[in-house]
Amino acid sequence: MLPMVSITTFLPLLGAALLVALRGATPRVAHGVGIATSGLTLLGAAWIWARGAPGGGFSQVEEIPWIPSLGAAYRVGVDGISLPLVLMTTILFFVSLVYSARVRERAGSYVALFLLLETASIGTFVALDAIVFYVFFEVTLVGMYFVIAGWGYEGRGRAALTFFLYTLLGSLPLLLAILGLYLASEPNTFDMRSYINSPPLSGLAAMLALIAMLVTFFVKIPVFPVHTWLPLAHTEAPTAGSVILAGVLLKLGTYGLIRFALQMTPDAFRAAAPYVAALAVFSALYGAFVALAQTDLKRLIAYTSVNHMGYVVLGVAVAAAADPGVRALALDGAVLQMVAHGFVTGALFLLVGMLQERAHTREMGKLGALLRTVPGLGWAFVLAAFASLGLPGLAHFPAEFQVFLGTFYVYPVAVVVVLGIAVTAGLYLRAMQASFLGETSEASAGMKDLGAREWLAAAPLLVLTVVLGVAPFLVLDVVHATTEVLLP
Amino acid sequence: MIASGFALLQGMEGMQQGMEGTGGGAEMQMGRDLALIAPEIAVVLTAVGALIFEMLRLPRVALPFTVIGLLVATGLTLPLLGTETTAFMDTFRIDPLSVWAKLVLLPATALCVVLAHGEVKDTDREGTVYALLSFTTVGALALAGAGDAMFVVLGVLLASLGSFALVAYPRDDRSTEAAMKYLVFGSVTSAVMIFGLTYWYGATASTLLSELGGLEGVPLAGAAGLVAVLVGLGYKAAIAPFHFWAPDAYDGAPLSVAAYLSVVPKVGAIFGLVQVLRDLPASGAAGWPLVVAILAVLSMTYGNLAALAQENVVRLLAYSSIAQSGYFLLGVVAWERGELALPSLVVFAAAYAAMNIGAFAVVMLAGRDLDDFAGLGRSAPATGAAMVVFLISLVGVPPLAGFVGKFLLFGAAIEAGFLWLAVIAILNSVLSLAVYLKVVVPMYRTPKEAPKHSGPVRAVWILALAATVSIGLATQILLGRIA
Repeated sequence: MLPMVSITTFLPLLGAALLVALRGATPRVAHGVGIATSGLTLLGAAWIWARGAPGGGFSQVEEIPWIPSLGAAYRVGVDGISLPLVLMTTILFFVSLVYSARVRERAGSYVALFLLLETASIGTFVALDAIVFYVFFEVTLVGMYFVIAGWGYEGRGRAALTFFLYTLLGSLPLLLAILGLYLASEPNTFDMRSYINSPPLSGLAAMLALIAMLVTFFVKIPVFPVHTWLPLAHTEAPTAGSVILAGVLLKLGTYGLIRFALQMTPDAFRAAAPYVAALAVFSALYGAFVALAQTDLKRLIAYTSVNHMGYVVLGVAVAAAADPGVRALALDGAVLQMVAHGFVTGALFLLVGMLQERAHTREMGKLGALLRTVPGLGWAFVLAAFASLGLPGLAHFPAEFQVFLGTFYVYPVAVVVVLGIAVTAGLYLRAMQASFLGETSEASAGMKDLGAREWLAAAPLLVLTVVLGVAPFLVLDVVHATTEVLLP
Repeated sequence: MIASGFALLQGMEGMQQGMEGTGGGAEMQMGRDLALIAPEIAVVLTAVGALIFEMLRLPRVALPFTVIGLLVATGLTLPLLGTETTAFMDTFRIDPLSVWAKLVLLPATALCVVLAHGEVKDTDREGTVYALLSFTTVGALALAGAGDAMFVVLGVLLASLGSFALVAYPRDDRSTEAAMKYLVFGSVTSAVMIFGLTYWYGATASTLLSELGGLEGVPLAGAAGLVAVLVGLGYKAAIAPFHFWAPDAYDGAPLSVAAYLSVVPKVGAIFGLVQVLRDLPASGAAGWPLVVAILAVLSMTYGNLAALAQENVVRLLAYSSIAQSGYFLLGVVAWERGELALPSLVVFAAAYAAMNIGAFAVVMLAGRDLDDFAGLGRSAPATGAAMVVFLISLVGVPPLAGFVGKFLLFGAAIEAGFLWLAVIAILNSVLSLAVYLKVVVPMYRTPKEAPKHSGPVRAVWILALAATVSIGLATQILLGRIA
């Protein structure tokens, strides 16, 4: 059997190496290589998806021994949680590179960095060895630093550095937790499957490891109060960088939360679940309310990410505390929420980027009557915004509904988080009223509507948003097979 | 120089006393002993040969002769693999540590000789540089195999005398000042070391390191000698707080010499430290493992923090090498109680030699300032990529050599019950990412000027790159050889 997981993981890296080798490549060639590579990677991910993860456990496992006497090896594979995330990642990278085809400034390096990021992101999702996971996890950080620092807006230097320091320091505790798991496993190994099948830590050690992991993943997700890097990074990042940052990199945090915190220290997580749930509720509400105060569209979307990711954390916390039936329900919701957020927020950031290119501003007050001047862009944004606020029939609804239902069973009080939906609805309606209806403003006069390339980038995400909304079972069936048997 | 000469004299006196102590029968052993130190003899002959070719005004021959001589010495070491014995009445040890020191340091010296060729070719005294490099390596090897306190002294002096001259080689103000600092610092620390060693001699009535067990119950003499040895070898290995000479000396010296000093004498001194401490009772005055562990923390943390503030790549690498000494010390700490100590020290030494020499080779092409690295990744993608590999290997990123070495060191420390030390070392490794990214980040900005071209230097970084990657990937094979 072809090792499709490894091929898909390293294909983008190969493309990046090709671009480095072709150093005087024109932007045209560079973008061609980028789109072709990420397209092939997307096909590879589809192949992995088609093979599936029967039985819910890890399948399509590929393993190469490295230092057997120390239990270190290259191990990758997928299960029902990583499968949809891998597919989502490859889709988002493909549309980002399609959208980026107009980038002329150092196009070769730009595409190469995105391809490097793609390898690192896929690698993080498929890693089954703690060292491999950690390395990919850190490489995403370095890659994103360069993307923001190299192609961002005015304050990019400071934003990139904040992002880098924040997440670098944030990932240290994870390293210590991995060390603890390694030392406690018998025989010593970095095999994540072994940590999952028989959690090596217990008692205080498990709690300390859990706290360490929570710190790392909360920074990445991000959860209040360690979210402060996010709005800064998003405002300064180039559009495609924002798409990847919100669509893929934030998921690394929530994925780690399930894969590491929930699966490797289940008992400690069960004990800590009420506190995590409370923090998640607060973070979700906080994100919604702060988003309400924004007038910059990009910052607004950035803060709604804090809100949406809060629901994911809530779902995982509920799953940690619940009995198996409800656990599967809450986790299904959490995983679906990750995928939905990837597509919806990806689309929103793309559309805001297209808007900024035309109007040279993202201030709501300076835009107006966009539905009339640029109906294509306008309606696309309206669709994505409705999905983001949780309208039934669109991607977020089935996800959030399951999370809230699970929450209701376990922590009835925590259902106040539904308030977040109302606030999000309010803020999106306000944004639409200010920018998309009303009088034509100076900035929005004479704009052109979306071109073919822009449609090619945005349309797949919008279509997927609708598909996920009306047929969530397409993803849920795969996820559910795993969440049913996730914890022994 | 006077102080060193005095120290040398003292050392020789001690050697005579040592011989008297162990009695006669040396001649009968001579043939076997000479065979056991064949690699060292080959290096000395290489050095002498390089000098002769220099005197014959044949500098072109000196380079290949030295390189081949060093490689022959490496080849002569191979049959000794697995041997565990002593030579010259227990004063010199042929054990895995000293054999692997040769297998790592002799090729490393050869690489540095090739690097030096790029800087000193067509100057007068070209061959002298090769000879000095070889002689200094003999000193480092003497340290790595020391079985007697006098071998420790001899090793430090041999390694130092050549180094002083090498640093001063350019004969300009900067290098003279650097060499002067290095010399003064070296004279004082060597004197302190010899002074302290006399306490051990007084307490055990022998200069043999294997007799150090006799210090049990004599805590004061034991502690005095320990402090002295740490000062003397800590100076040679550039361990904080005995490192002050290193940034100035590296920066003042030719780059090839800096690369050499950061690897060969350092590894020799660290291995020498193991040879001394392995026989020292660990129980007295808080125990030497704890003392060494504290030095390790100091060295790692100070080295990384100071490196973070540097704008000059050579000084940055100098401070980084101080931090790397700290990681080395984890293996020393673990020697008493860890199975992993020996493999970890050997693998990290090989990894460190490869990645550090590689990094210095790229500095030779790019330039000493951080600004000189601007755009290197774009004007010379292959060289730039190699530099990135060396630097992230120094951080300790899998699957490169630096990761494997550090991983084994951390494992050894944990095995020996020093979990806290391993945790500090891990945190330091992550901190060091910021240090090395300081060099990487400007490499991908707009290029200022293309780097220099030099065939030999290119060959060195390619070899170092191959070693950095293959030591990382094939660790299991290496571990099998060491065990």
